[in-house]
Amino acid sequence: MIPRYIGIAVLLFLPMPILIVVLSSFTSAGYLSFPIKGLSLRWYAEFLGSADWLRVLGTSALLALIGAVVSTGACFAAAWAVVRHKIRFGATYETILLAPLIFPHAAIGVIMIVTLSSLGWLGTFSGLVLVHCILTIPYAYRPVAAALRKSDAALEEAAASLGARPWRTFWMVTLPAVRPGLVTSLLFTFIISFDEVTVTLFLVGPFVMTLPVQVFSEVLESASPIIAAVSAALVLFTSAMVFILDRVIGIQFFVERD
Amino acid sequence: MARTLRSALLLAPSAILIGIFLIGLVRLIASSVLIDGQIDLHHYVDIMNRPDYIAMLGRTLRTAALTTFFCLLLGYPTAYYVARYQGNRNILLLLIIFPWLVSIVVRSYGWVVILGPRGLVNGFLMWTGMADRPFKLMYNDFGVVMGLVHVLLPFMIIAILSVLMQISRNLEEASMSLGGRPFYSFRTVLLPLSLPGILTGVTLVYLMSTGAIVTPLLLGGLGDTMIGTEIFQEVMHFFDYPKAAALATVLLVTAMAVVLPLQVLERWLSKRLTDGAPS
Repeated sequence: MIPRYIGIAVLLFLPMPILIVVLSSFTSAGYLSFPIKGLSLRWYAEFLGSADWLRVLGTSALLALIGAVVSTGACFAAAWAVVRHKIRFGATYETILLAPLIFPHAAIGVIMIVTLSSLGWLGTFSGLVLVHCILTIPYAYRPVAAALRKSDAALEEAAASLGARPWRTFWMVTLPAVRPGLVTSLLFTFIISFDEVTVTLFLVGPFVMTLPVQVFSEVLESASPIIAAVSAALVLFTSAMVFILDRVIGIQFFVERD
Repeated sequence: MARTLRSALLLAPSAILIGIFLIGLVRLIASSVLIDGQIDLHHYVDIMNRPDYIAMLGRTLRTAALTTFFCLLLGYPTAYYVARYQGNRNILLLLIIFPWLVSIVVRSYGWVVILGPRGLVNGFLMWTGMADRPFKLMYNDFGVVMGLVHVLLPFMIIAILSVLMQISRNLEEASMSLGGRPFYSFRTVLLPLSLPGILTGVTLVYLMSTGAIVTPLLLGGLGDTMIGTEIFQEVMHFFDYPKAAALATVLLVTAMAVVLPLQVLERWLSKRLTDGAPS
C-alpha cells in the first residue's frame, strides 16, 4: 500500500518542473513568473528570430551528431573485437570503457581542461567533439554490444559458405541484425551529448557555445522568459527522441540488465 | 596473427578516446602537485588550512548524503510500485525515462520557477494570504537538496527497477504463503536480492551529487558553495587552474573512497546471487 502512494506521488513529481517550464514559456510578461500573466508566443518569436540562439542550436545539433556517430562507430568496432574475436581480457576492456561513468562531472570538467589545453583545443569545436565522444562511449557500448551478442554468427558463416564476400555478408546479414542496437546507441548518445552541461561549460569559449550551456549562463544572469521558450524547445526535442527510441527498441530497454 | 592485428585495429578508436581521458586524469593529479617540476603540496595545504574550504567540503558531503538518502527513500518504493504494476507499465516507465533525459539545466531551471520569489509556491502563498512576502525557498540547502533529489531520482529508480524486474514475484508470494508477514518477507527475501540495484543507485546518486555544478549553482547561488561550484568559480572567475586541479583531485578522492568499495561489494553480491540462482 505505502509503495503505491509514494510511487504515484513520485511519478507525478518527476515531470512536474518540466511541465511548469513549458507552461511558463507562454507568458506575455517581460519577467518570469508562475502562474503566467497572460498568454503569448512572443518569447518563441524572440528565440526563433535570434541569430545567436539559432547558431548555438546549430552547434549543439552538429556536435551531438558527430559525437553520436563517432562513439557509436568506435564502440561497434570495440564490441566486435570483444564479442566476435573473443579477445583476451575482453571483460576488463568493457569495464575500462565504462570508466568515464564513475568520475564526478566537476572533476571530469577539469580533466578535460587539462587535456584540451595541452592540445590547444580549449574553446574550440574540435575540443568539444573530442570530449563528447569520450563522455558518450559508456552509453554507446552497451546497446551495441548487446545487439552483437544477440545476433547469430552462424548466419554470417552460412552466407560466407554460400559464397558471399565479407563486405556483402556484413552489409546484408550482420548489419540488419544489429541495426536496432546501432540506432539505439546513436539516439541515446545524441541525447546525452545534446543535453550535456556540467563538463561542457568548462570548455566553451567566445567562439563556440552549446545550447544547454547558453541556457545555464542566461539563467545565472537574467530572468528573461526567453530561457523558458528555449528550454521548452529542448523538452520538445527530447520528447521526440524518447518517442523514436520507444518505437525502435521499446522503453523497456532502459531497465533491462544484460 | 592477422586476427590479432584486426582486433587491435578494431579496439584502436575506443582505446584512443579512453586513453586520452586516462592521460588527462594523470596530468590533472600531476598538475596539482607539481610546481615547476618540483613536488609541492602547497595547494593541498592551503585547502586544509582554510576553514571556509573545510566547511565547503563538509557541506558537499552532507548535501550528497542527504540527496542519496532521500533518493533511496523515494526511489525504492517507486521502483517496487512500477515493477509490480499490473497494467501498462510502459506509461509509468515513460514518466521516469522522459524526465531523466531532459537536460539537467531545464530541470533545475524548473525548480527556480517553482521556488523563486515570484514562483509557484510563493505566488500561491501570497495569493491565499498565507504569507505577505515571499519565503526564501532557494539559495539555501533546502533548494539545493530538493533540486538534486529531483534531478538524480531517476538514476536511483532505474538502477533498482532493473534488478526488481528480474526477481520473480513468486518468491515473495512463496514467502508470504509460508506465513511471512509482508514486511518480514520484504526484509528477508526482496531486500537482500535487490541489494545490488540499491548499491548501484546509491553509487550513481552520491557520485553525481558530489560532482554537481549546475543544480547547486542555480538553486544555491554563489554563497554557500559545494566543491563543484567552488571548482567552477576557481576556473571561471579566478583562473586559478592549479587550485581547481587540487580541488578536483580532492573531489576524486572523496568520491572514490565511497564508490570503489560500493562497486566491489556490488560485483561480489551480483556474482553470488547469480551463481546461486538456477539458470
